[in-house]
Amino acid sequence: MSKLSRRDILKMGVGAAAGLGFPAIIRAQQKELVILGIWPATGAFSDVGPILDRGMRMALEERDMKIQGRPVKYIVRDSATQAGAATRRVEEAVDGEGAKFIIGPWSSGVALAVSEVAKRKKVFHYFSGGTEDISGSRCHRYSFQWAASPYTAAKTVVDNFMKANPKAKRWHLLVADYAFGWSVEKYIKEVGKTHGIEFVGADRHPLGEREFSNYVQKAAANKPDVVAMINFGLDAVSGAREIFNFGVTPKIPLIMTWSSGVEELVQLTPEIRDNIWVGSNFYYTADTPVAKNFVKNYQAKFGNPPGYAPSAAYGMTRMMLHAFDKAKSVEVQDVIRALEGIEVNDLVGRMRVDAKTHQTLRPYFFMRCKPKSAMKHPTDFADIIATGDTPLPAEYAACKDIGSF
Amino acid sequence: MLYALMGLGLSLITGVLNIPNFAHGALFAVGAYLLVTTVDVVGNFWLALVLAPVGVALMGLLIEYAGIRRLYAAGHDYQLLFTFGLALIISEGIIVIWGPVGFSHLPPPILRGGLDLGFTFYPKYRLFVMVVAGLLVLLTWLFLEKTRYGAIMRAGIENKEMVSLLGIDIHKLFTVAFALGAYLAGIAGALTAPIRGINPNMGVDMLGIAFVVVALGGLGNLLGAIAAGLLIGVAQAIVAAYWTEASTAVIFAVMAAVLLVRPQGLFGIR
Amino acid sequence: MKHPILLLVAAVALLPFVVRPVIATEIWIFAIFGLGLNLLLGYTGLLSFGQSTFFGSAAYVAGWLLKHYAINVFLALGIGVAVGAASAALVGYLCVQRSGLYFIMLTFALNQLFYFIAYQWTSVTGGEDGMHGVGRPAVFGIDFKDPLNYYVFISLLFLLSLWVMKRIVESPLGKILQAIRENEVRAEAVGYNVPRFKLLAFVIGGAFSGLAGVLYAMLFGIVPLEAIGFVFSGNVLFATLIGGSGSLYGPIIGSFVFIWLSESVSVIWARWPLLLGLAFVIVVLFFRGGVVEAWARLWSWWMRWRSSRQTS
Repeated sequence: MSKLSRRDILKMGVGAAAGLGFPAIIRAQQKELVILGIWPATGAFSDVGPILDRGMRMALEERDMKIQGRPVKYIVRDSATQAGAATRRVEEAVDGEGAKFIIGPWSSGVALAVSEVAKRKKVFHYFSGGTEDISGSRCHRYSFQWAASPYTAAKTVVDNFMKANPKAKRWHLLVADYAFGWSVEKYIKEVGKTHGIEFVGADRHPLGEREFSNYVQKAAANKPDVVAMINFGLDAVSGAREIFNFGVTPKIPLIMTWSSGVEELVQLTPEIRDNIWVGSNFYYTADTPVAKNFVKNYQAKFGNPPGYAPSAAYGMTRMMLHAFDKAKSVEVQDVIRALEGIEVNDLVGRMRVDAKTHQTLRPYFFMRCKPKSAMKHPTDFADIIATGDTPLPAEYAACKDIGSF
Repeated sequence: MLYALMGLGLSLITGVLNIPNFAHGALFAVGAYLLVTTVDVVGNFWLALVLAPVGVALMGLLIEYAGIRRLYAAGHDYQLLFTFGLALIISEGIIVIWGPVGFSHLPPPILRGGLDLGFTFYPKYRLFVMVVAGLLVLLTWLFLEKTRYGAIMRAGIENKEMVSLLGIDIHKLFTVAFALGAYLAGIAGALTAPIRGINPNMGVDMLGIAFVVVALGGLGNLLGAIAAGLLIGVAQAIVAAYWTEASTAVIFAVMAAVLLVRPQGLFGIR
Repeated sequence: MKHPILLLVAAVALLPFVVRPVIATEIWIFAIFGLGLNLLLGYTGLLSFGQSTFFGSAAYVAGWLLKHYAINVFLALGIGVAVGAASAALVGYLCVQRSGLYFIMLTFALNQLFYFIAYQWTSVTGGEDGMHGVGRPAVFGIDFKDPLNYYVFISLLFLLSLWVMKRIVESPLGKILQAIRENEVRAEAVGYNVPRFKLLAFVIGGAFSGLAGVLYAMLFGIVPLEAIGFVFSGNVLFATLIGGSGSLYGPIIGSFVFIWLSESVSVIWARWPLLLGLAFVIVVLFFRGGVVEAWARLWSWWMRWRSSRQTS
């Protein structure tokens, strides 16, 4: 046996390092188009990461992983729902892998950080989430927002709920103590004024709250006609559960204003869902050709219908692909220019991108959950009863100047 | 009352074994998951409620035997690292086995719905949990105060050397203490499942609260842990009425304040 | 291992070519953070589970000034060090009277308190979203926005910090701290004011943490809320233990291993924290001295094997 010299060990070490994927050594091939999906695989939203990846991948696979003849390299990084880690990984993907198009992340706080990187590195960034700032006070030429504006959501929810329940004038709000929560709350109160709604209470809870008993009891004490929750994810699920446990629903309706739809509803039971009204960016019974096709394929592949998360990833990727098609180029700035002002009939219906704010103007869905007896199959959670797409009025727009490249 | 239960289990472990058990929250989560799985297998909530915590206790036995046993002489830093590593393994393991998506589990039909107490409507299941947790706390306290073995355990908290000098197998004592602590965490988790739902991160929140309870109650002071647990629950409810956003965070503020003034906690001995 | 300093300088020079400058920069920042912690943990025997208090506070204060007043970089660093030291003085003063688990819990509780303040004070800190728009001003005409330039700056600061820490631990102060770690009662009996020295260790450790905090804020352009959270405190603690708290270089190795692992493994398997947990368990059970000990054992085994081969 030959002696292992120190040099050999060093060589093996470097080889191992390269093998483990040190990005600086491995570079993207020249013609490849590198697209990054920054999704949470660990941490608070680790349940959503995998399904976001699914949605994005499906959209890319519809094009056989090719854009304008070039092969697409789709890479995924873990945002870990931590701004620092996400920033680091996005920068590494841009510098090391040559990623020029970013979709994600999931959390608004992290999105603001990623958006800064996009601006600094001059790469394309599409995000779907509740924060108004991406198309508002922090707008810039490189970031776009896919989710409906909180104003659109509030208007759709309030208008249509009042149409179905004209006597429900006393509202109690339970709001996540977060910028997006405050935005939606503000707009609900604005729209509520036009309906003569009296807001008998509005409590804020910290993000990640698990002990909702106190909030629920406070809500019940105000004797409202309806309780409206403005939160998402596990907070919404926990809140809905406790509201049921304390007997508030089904006597009094509960509105989940900014729900993920399927992802949250599946974590509840039919008893809990009784008399819950849901506002969401997507529901799988949406009646558009693109949605029907997407839902069919998703269900065939994965068993359950897609909720807001995979549809957002899918929808954003599709919008980006439309922009590629229109631009006939793969340069970031050409794609951005093509996306600005684009108008297509896509996943949720008629979708436009406002060139001035980079906000996607599109329908928001309002559903009513079904009681157990009306459910035709295990995931038949709700029926869409209305959609609304009133954009944010100009006087509220915080994006004064989208800026230049 | 759940806080008291968690605090009691952790206090037992930190008191007897003198190690910071950062895996306590993970054991809590396992209790919840095992409950749901056992119900699926056995079909009966009550049976599952009995069996699931036993599963956690067995897990505790294994952990103590395979790992913690070797660490009594090691410093707190290594015990911390070890139990934290364990917590990671367990919570990621939960995701591997059960998937990352959470779910709900309704209480058994008799316990659904609530009681109209006049000033408020209170869920029957929560009352049930209060009663059961209260009973468990009482039973544990009786065991520790009135039985011979319990007395040995308490002596172990006070003075380990003396206990082993008296000829008692200190290692077995530690194993039992850890298993008992794990059992309490497990049953707390199982009881909580219908209230808070089940998801992989449910242990993390509970861990923080458990440590606060233990610190407030005084390390190793089991009665103190019970009292502190109740106190925290009440404090949280009161604060929630006035300053809802702060209700969970205030717990830590209280802990810091108390520890500064009385480092041995509200009821600690030193 | 002879000449670790030379090896380190070589590592500093080569690292940005092996990993991206961003990651390399973060590794050295984290190493500075670890050095600060290890003065407390490894040398004084104090398990501080709240170092992110100093890291985060410095990051927020300096970050705020950089954002709103675009202050000079060196001023920002100085303020970071000062804030880190000051907050550590406060926390240390409150904590040094306690020991054992009480001490650990108190540092944790105070960390949570600072976290809560940062969380609630959204007008200044941005709360959950973090503080955005922290600048990276140029110095002497060198544009620090270029990642490689910033890397050079950081690595120089790191080497400087290492040198300072080396001087500290080899000085009489360092010896006293180690004596306190070995036997507090004896140190007191010999006449040293133990609480005061512990406090001093806190302040110095806090100063290092504060420096790391400012550099971190400038690296990412944001101060995320987690920078003052207990997870960060845990991370630096674990990284240091994994590297080996018994050595000056332990925290550096630990920082390297921790960040490098979390970057490369996270790409391969989403459940990588499980491996991290396993690593912790293995370190505790078999390699208490961390990588440093593992390396030392491996080296001595290698030496023995070589000499046995030569004699046979």
